[in-house]
Amino acid sequence: MNSWSEIFFRLSYGYMLFNSIDFAIFLPVVFILYWLVAKRNLKAQNLLIVVVSYLFYGWWEWKFLSLIIFSTLVDYSVGLGLAKRESPNVRKMLLWTSILINLGFLGFFKYFDFFLANFTKAFSFFGHPINASTLNIVIPVGISFYTFQTLSYTIDVYRRKLKPTNDLVAFAAFVSFFPQLVAGPIERSTHLLPQFFVRRRFFYSEAVDGLKQILWGIFKKVVIADNCAQYANMIFSDPSDYNGSALVLGAIFFCFQIYGDFSGYSDIAIGTAKLFGFDLKKNFAYPYFSRDIAEFWRRWHISLSTWFRDYLYIPLGGSRVKTSLKIRNTLIVFLVSGFWHGANWTFIVWGALHAIYFLPLLLLSKNRRNLEIVASKKYLPTLTELIGMITTFSLVTFAWIFFRAESLAHAFTYIGGMFSLSLFHIPSLVPRRHILILLGLILAFISVEWSGRKDQFAIESIGKRQPQIVRWSFYSFVIFMIGMYMQTQETPFIYFQF
Amino acid sequence: MKIFLRRITSFIGFALVFYLFFNILWGLFLPLLAKNINYRIGSYGYMHTRIQNLKAYSGIDILFLGSSHAYRGFDPRIFKANGIRVFNLGSSSQTPIQTEVLLDRYLESLKPKLVVYEVSPVNFSSDGVESAVDIIANDTNDIGSIKMALKINHVKVYNTLIYGLFRGLLHLDSSFVEDLTKGDDTYVEGGFVEKKIAHYDKSMDFPSRKMNLKQKQLRAFEKILSKLREREVAVFLVQAPVTSGFYHARSNNSDIDAYFRRIGNYYNFNKIIELSDNQHFYDERHLNQAGVELFNAKLLEILRDNVVPTKKSNLK
Repeated sequence: MNSWSEIFFRLSYGYMLFNSIDFAIFLPVVFILYWLVAKRNLKAQNLLIVVVSYLFYGWWEWKFLSLIIFSTLVDYSVGLGLAKRESPNVRKMLLWTSILINLGFLGFFKYFDFFLANFTKAFSFFGHPINASTLNIVIPVGISFYTFQTLSYTIDVYRRKLKPTNDLVAFAAFVSFFPQLVAGPIERSTHLLPQFFVRRRFFYSEAVDGLKQILWGIFKKVVIADNCAQYANMIFSDPSDYNGSALVLGAIFFCFQIYGDFSGYSDIAIGTAKLFGFDLKKNFAYPYFSRDIAEFWRRWHISLSTWFRDYLYIPLGGSRVKTSLKIRNTLIVFLVSGFWHGANWTFIVWGALHAIYFLPLLLLSKNRRNLEIVASKKYLPTLTELIGMITTFSLVTFAWIFFRAESLAHAFTYIGGMFSLSLFHIPSLVPRRHILILLGLILAFISVEWSGRKDQFAIESIGKRQPQIVRWSFYSFVIFMIGMYMQTQETPFIYFQF
Repeated sequence: MKIFLRRITSFIGFALVFYLFFNILWGLFLPLLAKNINYRIGSYGYMHTRIQNLKAYSGIDILFLGSSHAYRGFDPRIFKANGIRVFNLGSSSQTPIQTEVLLDRYLESLKPKLVVYEVSPVNFSSDGVESAVDIIANDTNDIGSIKMALKINHVKVYNTLIYGLFRGLLHLDSSFVEDLTKGDDTYVEGGFVEKKIAHYDKSMDFPSRKMNLKQKQLRAFEKILSKLREREVAVFLVQAPVTSGFYHARSNNSDIDAYFRRIGNYYNFNKIIELSDNQHFYDERHLNQAGVELFNAKLLEILRDNVVPTKKSNLK
């Protein structure tokens, strides 16, 4: 796999990021066209969504638009085919056509180089060196997301959970809907597709809610994630330069980087969709307040974990099977989930670690202990809850080291450096002032997230019962904090590479 | 929808006022926590003193422009000893965008016969943020500062400018006096800064890199040259010497030379004089006083041979 810096460089070249000036112009223009020009005409609104979504995607690389269009046409046709055929064999064949084409694209663009490199290594190891050079394939942004979304359509139609659509424009809009096209949430056809057939009405409160969510998403991304990224990248790039405590701090910074980055993206996506009258699935539910790993996985990247649950884990038998199969199914889901993130052994180990964390809870039937948010009727958690949260956070942070590392050797070097005597020294990081500012920002961020943990997004209810001036002052303060503490280089979202 | 658009417009107005107010508040009371305000009056480049000093000059022979290569590279005392009146308007990391602002402000009063412009490629490949905040904090802000901020389009420049305009409005810096000696640096009358370090002993390994000159800097640079031509001010483009390791690590030196040669009267001193990395520099890209003397002597020689800016010139 390429290094993170290479990926960032490639992604930052010409992409319309949510945190870019391009998007700041694009969004209001599309909003005005959608509500003022295409108003009251559902077909015109859907067509506009398709056009602007293709424009949004094509801004990065128009050539890869053909992939989305091809996937759209294949799954649209498969859907219609499934509606007309009753024969189980034909239906199965149609479903497999869709699965093979979609996963074929994904496999080629994302995993071809990985498999080739590993086969070459394996042959060399057994004394049969072969010459095969990788193709250095560029991964189309968002391919893992829209592939899973469109697959959910054919599977649901096959399972007769959903009637196939014969409206190609609406279906194309469902596949390419720009707010969630490149990094999710991965929508289910049963949830999002029907929304393209209902006349949209503009609701003031929903639009304001959307803007608030976008604002919070931007804060998470440009203040929390990007500032953490600066130090996480620095520390991970050369772990041997830092003492144990600095490495721990580096892992914690990455922990907040990936959360701020990905959940920030999801908030912007969900908020943007609200501006256009759409409801997208919640993708994060305060995962770092989880009391155990099972709860963490109910709160982290919800759209992906539920996708795997419904389309992989349950078809494999789920947890209502004998113990050995339970273990097998859990391992498969976590390993596939790791591999979904990227063609590197580091992601597979990351998935495996989570499986190891999760299995004891499943086998002891303790995986559904914490269904409600922590301290749901209190201000503060109990000591047991606090210990649970800290333990879960530590386990998750440890696993993130594998996720972030360039290779397994890199991860082990990092962990080796972390668990040394220097763990008890003052972190060897400079400038201290900047580190303290960043820690202060993280602390403030955790406090706001804690106070809003019962809501859809952390600032949803802040000031709701207060006069307008108080609410506006709060939102203005968030804007000010963004301007004062944002990382000044435009940084692409991490999950774009997956 | 109408209500939504009306309220959004009102909110934008409200947020703008709020932002200005809190920006000033943060700058005044929490400067150490203000990550994206970089208001440093009397910072390491002596820009504040240089601007005060400049007011005493008019009708000079040579005006030096550029970054630290300029204000640490051209010593007015050497030129004065040769009967040439000069002023060094170099500043920290000065890029063409800032040079243009400074020329708009001071070209009229300085009335130079010749401009010697130090064209270090690193300043042409920079976004100009560092130099912009230096000028905002140490010079009087005007419409040129706003234009400069818009060209650079960086939140740190905007925030620092808002704070700088506020301080300027209330004259909060009017009593500020900068120390003329800070550590190894001493400000010398005429804009020069002398470094009291005689040797450079560090390792000379630099990774190979390509300098990508930024389009917006090149546009500003070409605008400066045409402004100077309009005023019939002769221009000398000079690349000051740097250590050989640092110089040769740049992979596209010949392209850079070709560009500047095409655009004006250009001299690359890395090719003109032989200097010792250890004896004539105090870091990888700045001359020590011994290096400055050799560099300036050679420059004077070339100027005498090549330039006759006006009939009244002291250069011939």
